[in-house]
Amino acid sequence: MPAQSRPGTADDAIRGVQPKFVYSPSTVEECAEVMALGARDKLRLGFAGGRTEIGLGAPPSGLDAVVATERLGRIVEYTPSDMVLIAEAGTPLARIQATARAEGQMLAIDPPEPERATIGGIVATGGFGPRRARYGTIRDLIIGVTLVRADGTVAHGGGKVVKNVAGFDLPKVACGSLGTLGLIATASFRLHPLPEASATARLAGLTAAQVVATVDAMRRAQLEPTSVEAIRGAGGAYDLGVRFEGFGKGVSQQMVRLGDLARGVLPDEAFWRAPARAPFRARVASLPSRLPAVDALVEPILAALGAGATFSWYATLGLGSIAGPVADEAALAAAVGLARSALVDSGGSLVVHSSPVALDPWGPLPQAFRLMAELKKRFDPDGRLNPGRFVGGL
Amino acid sequence: MEAAAAPALSHALVARFADIVGAAHCISRPEQLRTYECDALTSFRARPGLVVLPASTEEVVAVVKLAREAGLPIVPRGSGTGLSGGAMPVPGGVLLGLSRMKRVLEIDLENQWMRVEPGVINLEISKRLAPQGYYYAPDPSSQQVCTIGGNVAENSGGAHCLKYGFTTNHVLGARVVLGDGSIVDLGGPVLDAPGYDLRGAFVGSEGTLGVVTEVVLRILRKPEATRTFFATFPSTDEAGHAVSLIIAAGIVPAAIEMMDRLAIVAIKAATGVDWPDVGAALLMDVDGTAAEVEHTAAEATRLSQEAGAIEIRVPRDAAERETMWRGRKSAFAAVGRISPNYVVQDGVIPRSEIAKVLREIERIGRDTGLRIANVFHAGDGNLHPLVLYDRAVPGQEELAERAAGDILKICVRAGGSITGEHGVGADKAMYMGEMFSEDDLATMNLVRCAFDPDAIMNPGKVFPTPRLCGDRPGKYVAHPTETAGLAGRG
Repeated sequence: MPAQSRPGTADDAIRGVQPKFVYSPSTVEECAEVMALGARDKLRLGFAGGRTEIGLGAPPSGLDAVVATERLGRIVEYTPSDMVLIAEAGTPLARIQATARAEGQMLAIDPPEPERATIGGIVATGGFGPRRARYGTIRDLIIGVTLVRADGTVAHGGGKVVKNVAGFDLPKVACGSLGTLGLIATASFRLHPLPEASATARLAGLTAAQVVATVDAMRRAQLEPTSVEAIRGAGGAYDLGVRFEGFGKGVSQQMVRLGDLARGVLPDEAFWRAPARAPFRARVASLPSRLPAVDALVEPILAALGAGATFSWYATLGLGSIAGPVADEAALAAAVGLARSALVDSGGSLVVHSSPVALDPWGPLPQAFRLMAELKKRFDPDGRLNPGRFVGGL
Repeated sequence: MEAAAAPALSHALVARFADIVGAAHCISRPEQLRTYECDALTSFRARPGLVVLPASTEEVVAVVKLAREAGLPIVPRGSGTGLSGGAMPVPGGVLLGLSRMKRVLEIDLENQWMRVEPGVINLEISKRLAPQGYYYAPDPSSQQVCTIGGNVAENSGGAHCLKYGFTTNHVLGARVVLGDGSIVDLGGPVLDAPGYDLRGAFVGSEGTLGVVTEVVLRILRKPEATRTFFATFPSTDEAGHAVSLIIAAGIVPAAIEMMDRLAIVAIKAATGVDWPDVGAALLMDVDGTAAEVEHTAAEATRLSQEAGAIEIRVPRDAAERETMWRGRKSAFAAVGRISPNYVVQDGVIPRSEIAKVLREIERIGRDTGLRIANVFHAGDGNLHPLVLYDRAVPGQEELAERAAGDILKICVRAGGSITGEHGVGADKAMYMGEMFSEDDLATMNLVRCAFDPDAIMNPGKVFPTPRLCGDRPGKYVAHPTETAGLAGRG
């Protein structure tokens, strides 16, 4: 056998579909062998890292085997003076951060569950956290990728320098592709310096319109927060967390100036809590200024989820997360449908990341769907990689 | 490098193109076509069959469909400032100029984006936004002339991309006309549209995937404060050490540019800046909030001194700052003052390799007897060695081209890239094999085949050999022109 394999169990299922086998390659060469084997035997393959986003997408239309990246956990190369790090796909984010931290650096991405979330999974699902406000998302940090294609071909794109326009940008093509174009085996990233200081302020009890106004005021005042998140309370009012990071003087000056801009600004280092793992999770995307309209669309979803439902909004980005248990399945489906259609009509989206109820995860086909389908066909002509899971059944 | 001439297009066909864009915007007279034979890489030339200048997405669609029907390849072009021959025409083909599409369509300051046509000049955007205190970050040195469409094609960088990223980090969406005449919308002002990141695939694809007819750009609020300083050093070793110390101190300068002695001499000769004769100089911007900048400027100054700076100058006012930057940004043209001809190179190396690679470049200079000036974006290891030569001296042009090629190979061996911002184009296609395997290139070709299966968009660029798109992609298949001995392999 090209790599360790074992029979699949219920724990290996992807959206309820259990694979017959699980392969665990431990090198790029073994990845290529597993993929070539899959091509030879026409296996429908899924991929799994830390499984933190395994609920994303539609159930696969079939699954013969899962390729798990659990034995691909090495940091391949790290040159602190170049601020570039290359890691195998199965490396948990926390391990990368610990390595970088020892040199006063960080990979500037902070999705939930860094102990479990692997870097390959973060690339494949486009994971992010509140620091995206300043540093962008994984597509802005990735500089190289090793992609093992459906036929076992090992392809590299990008490289290990930050600035590089040679050839097509395969690293970006890999980002958010949910394992439908190939197996991401390794990836390289630019790092950032760890900030010397960090401080968070909280503004409590804002309306949606006040959240938008506060963000506007901060921008006018040329403040440069690294994270801005509005968390909706049970009564519909928002708590706004604003984090500044950088050199000490700059951070404290910005905290003072935020205090001058708005009333009731309190320091609150405990604001950034990891989101609870909930049975239902969805993301909404719209323009930042549309929060009042988004709030009205989200409210019925929260009502259907019932007690414990949460909504948080990255206020400078226009991206929100909904999470909770499901109290009323029918009401949830209806509210998701209504919210989605209104969001899509104004150029946004609603993506269901996890749901105990059968819901369309992606929504209507994107305008460029035909081109996406063409790309999928070129990379995976037999439609064996995560079949049916991605947008429009790709 | 002059491509063979192709037979002229029939009057009837030219008339049909003229019907689409108007006779005034359809250029087919040989003496007028000459203007369009090359971009800023003037050593690569080819005469297009005709030049069409459409004014709308609809006209682009009609032009593409007609070109396709006539079996003519299409090369898109902005201002023609590209340095890799990316906009060099295919002999006898259609050159599709986007300079008439220069409207700003929409500005949304509150959500920090704007929608523009591809012919809008890079610098015009920041000028337009300046009164409101916003700007567009990528600032290639040609920004007074180059277009956003060209920036999208090349994924242009610039001095300030060290902190702020490249064109691809600032393009939120694009409307693109594909080679079959269909219109696709990639991304948009709202983040995270479901589906593949086709916008990421398109930006930097050098006109080989389609013609961009609208671009949604991210715009930024101006930072509260910017400090510029100019530090001189005995040699590039000390200057490079200063860069390392500054980066290691956790400072991300907005820009940090290095110039060596010969580059300084050239810039002085061309612009009249009163820079001293020194072995190397750094021009640096730090920006951010006032208190942050106060700290980073002081710290960077101290570290430069620690590294052995001779002198540190701070501009007295905005005008002097602009003069300093104009000096740096005019470096390529300035070299024209001290040499009849020169080759601009665009290699990238890991920052830690700078000193070593500069010594190797010096050795190439010694071995060939050619002078090599160095200006580069020191923060991200993007070198622009300028190899000086005189075309009038027999053999010197070839020698310079070979020296420039050797520099690229050194960059790749050091773990870097053959191009940081100028693109592969026609110039560096033959070096792609230094960096990428046949499998890597075949995989990139899958992307091209998805967008442009018939290879009518800017054929002959980026890839070292023509490639086909079979119905079933697989291992590399040689193009008939190659097996027939008409095309070489780089």
